[in-house]
Amino acid sequence: MHPAFLLDLPLTPYGEALDLQRAAVAARKEGRLACDLIILIEHPPVFTLGRRGGRENLLVSESELNARGIEVIPVERGGDITYHGPGQLVAYPLVDLNRGDFRVVAFVEALEQAMVRTAARWGVAAAGDAANRGAWVQGRKLGSVGITVRRGVSFHGLALNVTTDLTPFTWINPCGIQSCRMTTLAAEAQQQIDMAAVRTEMAGQIGTLLRLDLQPVSLEHIRAALETNRQTENAQ
Amino acid sequence: MKEIDELKFPEDVYYSKDHEWARKEGDLVTVGISDYAQDQLGDIVFVELPEKGSKLKQGEEFGSVESVKAVSELFMPVAGEVVDINGGLEDSPELVNNEPYDGGWMLKVKPAGADPFGKLMDRGAYLAMLKG
Repeated sequence: MHPAFLLDLPLTPYGEALDLQRAAVAARKEGRLACDLIILIEHPPVFTLGRRGGRENLLVSESELNARGIEVIPVERGGDITYHGPGQLVAYPLVDLNRGDFRVVAFVEALEQAMVRTAARWGVAAAGDAANRGAWVQGRKLGSVGITVRRGVSFHGLALNVTTDLTPFTWINPCGIQSCRMTTLAAEAQQQIDMAAVRTEMAGQIGTLLRLDLQPVSLEHIRAALETNRQTENAQ
Repeated sequence: MKEIDELKFPEDVYYSKDHEWARKEGDLVTVGISDYAQDQLGDIVFVELPEKGSKLKQGEEFGSVESVKAVSELFMPVAGEVVDINGGLEDSPELVNNEPYDGGWMLKVKPAGADPFGKLMDRGAYLAMLKG
């Protein structure tokens, strides 16, 4: 087990979280961030494109989305287009894979399993899929995965639909798959689900699967650590 | 996952700590990723390479490889100008898995500077790093 920070964040704009991830990955690689960092978060509605794009899988015009105040943001992760919105639990594991605990492919599998085991806690039988990565319930997609490895440190991660309004998924071919049907944990379990409980369960599963001993930490603590170090660098 | 001893690390290339390799071929340097790197990634489905003519510094990002749902960024083991890229990887990215030092090569670089391999490791030093 390695010690790691657990940062539990409320609904946060995607771009803001992306900046935080990128700064923390650089800090982790340079040794300024002392241990791995798991971020749990939700985002206001946003579409993101993978490294290879996926704009062709957006089925509505960007002006339509702009009118609704929804951005389309290209990012560096693996995978195709996806949607994030309230009620979807997103986890960003910033893990130093240089330790050699995981091959990249095994790490992606572990993220799938974190979603599968979390779903099982509410009696939902989901499974991973080596060909179409994600958590699936009888052909319906419950959760997605997509990561980037930068100099051996992972970022981006997984997204599990808990109580998500799935309407925006009908505006895309999720993950580039035509007629891909999405689902939520609440729909599959046929019960109301408390997001706070899902966050706790997910943190526990990620800790077990990635062999991390998670210590809760505040955003102020992380920001202060990154900021202090930046000032030190500028002074040099 | 293979053990380190089962992987191939030829003597005729230099290695970077980010797991790229560089081989002197006449006036040019050929660049790819090591057997260790490809084994870590799993089945590679896409390789993104720079434009010919790109001038890149040592350690600068030159592209990426994507295994299923995972993008790994690639960094220049040597500084120089990219004079050729392996176009065959567009249709056959699996060559990086199957022949990392041969058919899976990525770039040919005209090196900048007198000692392009100065900061790189030979086979012995790279193996020592991998075995920690």
